[in-house]
This record gives sequence, C-alpha cells and structure tokens, in this order.
Amino acid sequence: MTRRPVDLGDPDRLYTVTGGRSRADDEKFDLVTLVVSECRPSPGMQSEHVRILELCERPIAVVEISAELRLPVTVVRILLGDLLSTGRITARHPRAGRSLVDLPDSSLLEEVLLGLRNL
Amino acid sequence: MSVPVAPKPRRIRTPRPLPAAVPLVSVAAAGAAGGAAIAAAPAPARGWIAATVLVGWVWLAVTVAATALNSRRLHKAVTATGGELRSLQTHTAQTAAGSAHLVNVTLPTVLKRVRDGESAESAPSAPPAPPDPHPRGAAQPATADVGGAGGGTAAAEAAAANVAQRLARSAEELDRLTGVVLPAAIERLRGGASAGTALAELEQPADPRLRAALESIVREFAFSERRAAAAQGASAKVLSRVQAKAVSMLAELREMQDRHGEDVFGDLLTLDHNTSQLGLLTDRLALLMGGRASRAWNKPIVMESILRGAVGRIAAYQRVRLHSSSTASVAGYAAEGVMHLLAELMDNAANFSPPIDEVHVYVEERTAGLVVTIEDSGLKMADAALRRAEEAVAGRFHDLAHLQSTRLGLVVVGLLAAKYNMSVSFRPSSRGGTGVVVLFPPQLLHQSRTLAPEQPAHREAEPAPRPPVRPLPQQDVRRDTRPGAHGAQRSERPGGPRVATPGGLPVRPPGRTMAAADRGRSGPEEVPADRPAPPARDAGAQFGAFHRARKARDDRDRYDTGQ
Repeated sequence: MTRRPVDLGDPDRLYTVTGGRSRADDEKFDLVTLVVSECRPSPGMQSEHVRILELCERPIAVVEISAELRLPVTVVRILLGDLLSTGRITARHPRAGRSLVDLPDSSLLEEVLLGLRNL
Repeated sequence: MSVPVAPKPRRIRTPRPLPAAVPLVSVAAAGAAGGAAIAAAPAPARGWIAATVLVGWVWLAVTVAATALNSRRLHKAVTATGGELRSLQTHTAQTAAGSAHLVNVTLPTVLKRVRDGESAESAPSAPPAPPDPHPRGAAQPATADVGGAGGGTAAAEAAAANVAQRLARSAEELDRLTGVVLPAAIERLRGGASAGTALAELEQPADPRLRAALESIVREFAFSERRAAAAQGASAKVLSRVQAKAVSMLAELREMQDRHGEDVFGDLLTLDHNTSQLGLLTDRLALLMGGRASRAWNKPIVMESILRGAVGRIAAYQRVRLHSSSTASVAGYAAEGVMHLLAELMDNAANFSPPIDEVHVYVEERTAGLVVTIEDSGLKMADAALRRAEEAVAGRFHDLAHLQSTRLGLVVVGLLAAKYNMSVSFRPSSRGGTGVVVLFPPQLLHQSRTLAPEQPAHREAEPAPRPPVRPLPQQDVRRDTRPGAHGAQRSERPGGPRVATPGGLPVRPPGRTMAAADRGRSGPEEVPADRPAPPARDAGAQFGAFHRARKARDDRDRYDTGQ
C-alpha cells in the first residue's frame, strides 16, 4: 500500500461551519462592508465566530475577515449574518463616496475650534 | 439347586402261597364224604355210586393237585419279580443320588475350575466323580462342553480386550488430533504458514485414515485462509485507492469553494457532503479489511474540528447539535480514528432516532481524559440490542466472520476503540433515547502531560474560552512555573519583540492601533515580576518549552489582536 502524504488541511468541511447553509440570509454584507464587534466572545461559541469577534475589535472589511479566516466570502457572510442577528456585531458601509457635501459646514468647525481653545 | 428327591420305593406285598395241607385236607374230606356216601347207598346202586364217587374224587384230587402246583409256581414267580423290583428301586435311588451329586457337586466344581482357568480335560478329574458310572459318563461330555465353552469365553474376552485397547488407542489419537494437532495446525496456518509447512511441522497421527483426514482438513483450511487473506488484501488495496480518490476530490472541492462564487457554492457543498459520506463508507470498509483511515494529520486537531469533521461525514449532520467549549486537541496520529469513531456513533444515533429529533453531543474534560457523550432521543435500545452493541464496541469481534452486513459501523468503532484505548459504553439517555459515552485517555490529547492539570485552573481564570488567542499569555505564565520553561520563555518571548523594542519603545504591528500595541506591551513587562526563580531543567523539558514557545509565537502571529 502506498503511503499517502500527510494531510495539512483542516478536517472541518464548510457545510459544517455554516450548518448546511450555502447562502447568506440577507444581502447586508458585501466585500467592503466594515464590521465592528459589539461584545466579547462568550464560551461555547463557534470558533469562527470567536475569531471574527476578535478580528472586529477594530473595524475590518468582510474580505479581510475572509482572508484572515481563510474561508470563502460566502461562508464569512453567513457567519457574519449570524453574529449580526444576535447583535454581536454592527456593520456599516465605508463612506468613501462622501466628500465635501457631507462635511460639516465651516461655521460649525469654527465653533468647535473656539470651544477647544477656550478649554 | 433343588434336586428331585428319588421316590421312596413302595413296599411290595408278596402273596403268600396256600399251605400244602389245605388241598390235602379237602381231598381227604372229599374222600371221606365219598366213602360215607358209598356206605349209605343202597346195595344195588352201590357199585354205580362207588364208581361215580371215585371218579369224582379222583377228579377233585387231580384238580386240587394241579391248582396247588400252579399256585406254588405262581408264588415263586411273584417272589422273583418282587426281588427284581427291589433291586431296580435300589438302582434308581442310586442313579438319582448320582445325578444329584453330578448336578450339585461335580458340575459346579467343574465350571468353577474351568472358569478359574484350568483346561477342560484336567477339570473333571479333580472333583469327586459321581459313584455311578452313568452320571460319570454323562458328566464327561458336559464338562467337556463346559470346558469348551469356557475356552471360547476366554478367547472372546481376550478379543474384546484387544478391541477395547485398540479403541482406546484410536480415541486417544483422535483426542490428540482434535485437541492438540488441529489447533496447532490452525494456529500455524493463521500465522501465514502454507499447508505443506504446517503439515511437516505437525505430529502426524499413526492411523492412516486420521492422517488423511488431517491432511485434507489442513489443506482445505489453508485454502480458505489464503482466499480470505487474498480477498481482504485486495479489498484493502482497492479501497485505499478509493479513499485517496475521495480525499483528492474533497481537496478539489474545497478549492472550488474558494474559487467560485455564491451561485454554485451550495452545489459544491452538497457534493462535498456526499464525498465526505463516501469517505466514511470507504474508511469503514478499509478499516474492517485491515487497511488504514483515508487521512493522517500531522498536527493536533482541536476538539471543535474533531467534532465537526465527524459530524460532516454523516447524512443527518444538521440534526446533530455540538456542545463543546473544550480547548483540548487530539493528537494528530489519532485524530482521524477519533473522528471516524465519533462519526460512526453519531450516524448510529441519528439513524436510530426520529428524523425530526436532534442528536446532542457534549464534551467534558475530566482528569481521566476527555468524555464525549452522544445522546439521541429515539427509542430506548432493547436490552439485547444494547448488549450486542456493547459487545460490538468492546473490540472483541476482530474476526470478519462475525460481521453482519448492516452492523459494520459499531464493529469499526470497536476496532478503533481498541486501537486507541478508548472506552465506549452505552447507557439509556435521560432524553429518552440512548446515550453513548466515549472516554478518550489523556494520551490521545495533545500535550496532555502538561495541559491536563491546567485545564480546570484555566477554565476558572478564563470563563470565556477563546481558544487561540486569549489563553495564550496566561498559559505562558503558568508554563513558566514548570521546570525549564522559564529561560526558554523569556528568550523566545513572542510578545516582547513584537510589541516593544528592547529599549521599551512601543512597536505598532501592521493593522493595529498604537493604543492596542501599547496595551499588548504592558503584559510581558508585568509578567516577569511574578515569576519564581527558574528551577533546574533537563534537555527534554527545555526542548518542550522551546517548542511551546515557538507554537505560541506562531499562534500570536496569526491571531494577535492585542490584549
């Protein structure tokens, strides 16, 4: 019998990670959605959830989580959906498109500056 | 022995002869009467009457004389007959006595002597011979016959003894054949010897028929063994190829899952699941056939992955609920076997519970090892079924001959449990179904020697186990109290160079805020103050500490998020 090469991967199959789901319930997450964790991991949580919560202590994009966890984006979105539905994370889109129009007007900024100087 | 008593000879009455005077008196009386008659008669008639009386008297006298003569002769004859009768009676009595002697004394004596082994010829001379020659003559052939019969009996007895001896010898040989030779032959054949070798090494029975039987049995058994071994080997070989194919398919599917988008992801998962189930089936057969599991892991596998790897191989994996907060890992060499064992038990639980009910899997860490409980809420197993299952998982049924076509899984569980020294026991579940308790010995757990005592303390100190990241610094602290860990930990301290320069300035790793880096830096600086003095260490412990420290650093590199 030929010796097989030793396995280097993980024994987990992706359908066991997602519990059999192959599609995220909502379309809330795209690749660049920023995710922030709202709580610390609790015991008994799935290890992927734990790692996501730890990664999301600072805002991080979905695609980055996917790369860190070495999981397909689809799976990450399903996992994020779980966390979002239980309120453990919040998600927001990066506001790259907003520029001048969204900035507060100069009078407000001046007031803030004045207040800071008066401290 | 009752001997007919000879009848007493009857007394024979001999008739007495009439006295001789009686006829003479009667003749004289008749003469006197005649004379008187003649005297009385008238003269004219006297002559006629005298003549008549004379004639009558003469007739009478003649008759009387003849009668007396006859009587006397008859008397003589009667006397002679009586004497003869008496002698005959005497003779009869003697004969009867002789017969009685023969029957009562001579023949028993002869028989006894013949039985005692004397020859038939010498036997009759010894007892007192019957006095009568006739019984003696009769005794001779009888004793001869008895003697002949006695001789026949002795011969028959000798023949019977001979036969019994031969029978005993045959029985002994047969016993030896069945009790010693055949088991030895079977043992040799099972050990792989050929029929010829086995026969040459064996002690052959003397009886040619037994020899032939032994040879045919051994040859037939060798043939069966060879056929079984060939079938098993061929199956294992073919199955190993199927296993390799399944593993490569799984790897390809995993790669496709990464590469392709959501539109085909579900289909890929379905294929993945089917291939995994195929892997379980082929692994089951391969293990039964003496082959190996399809995969081998070169690293410890954490319990969560073990459970998920197991549950992914069964059809009803969505009904299985895993409850595990254990951070223990199973050593790589045993991980695949453990996964297969758990998969078989979960499959069993899922198959024997209603399709809407869930199967619950619990993991507990105990000092005796790791306990995995698989509980279903199906029907309680019947006692007989429970006993059969217990027997199957006890690992006693190594022989393929005991296989039932539908009960392969539990036999494989038994094989694996015996191989890895795990204990599997069934009990009624509190949920109404059956619970299976699997105990992993500490040797199966990765670094159980150092980690096992720490687990309870670890759980208390860290109520929220977050496997890779949070426990690491704490484990480092505890490890430092172990022999040899201190120096290695300090020199290899992963946190130091990563979050602060040797001069104490904070270093911000990419992707981290400065504050987080600073927080991370405070940890390693505080720790040395608590450390005890480094105890003596040996090379093995030093190497272990080095390995752990490297591992800790690797993990930190991957998961570091700051404290």
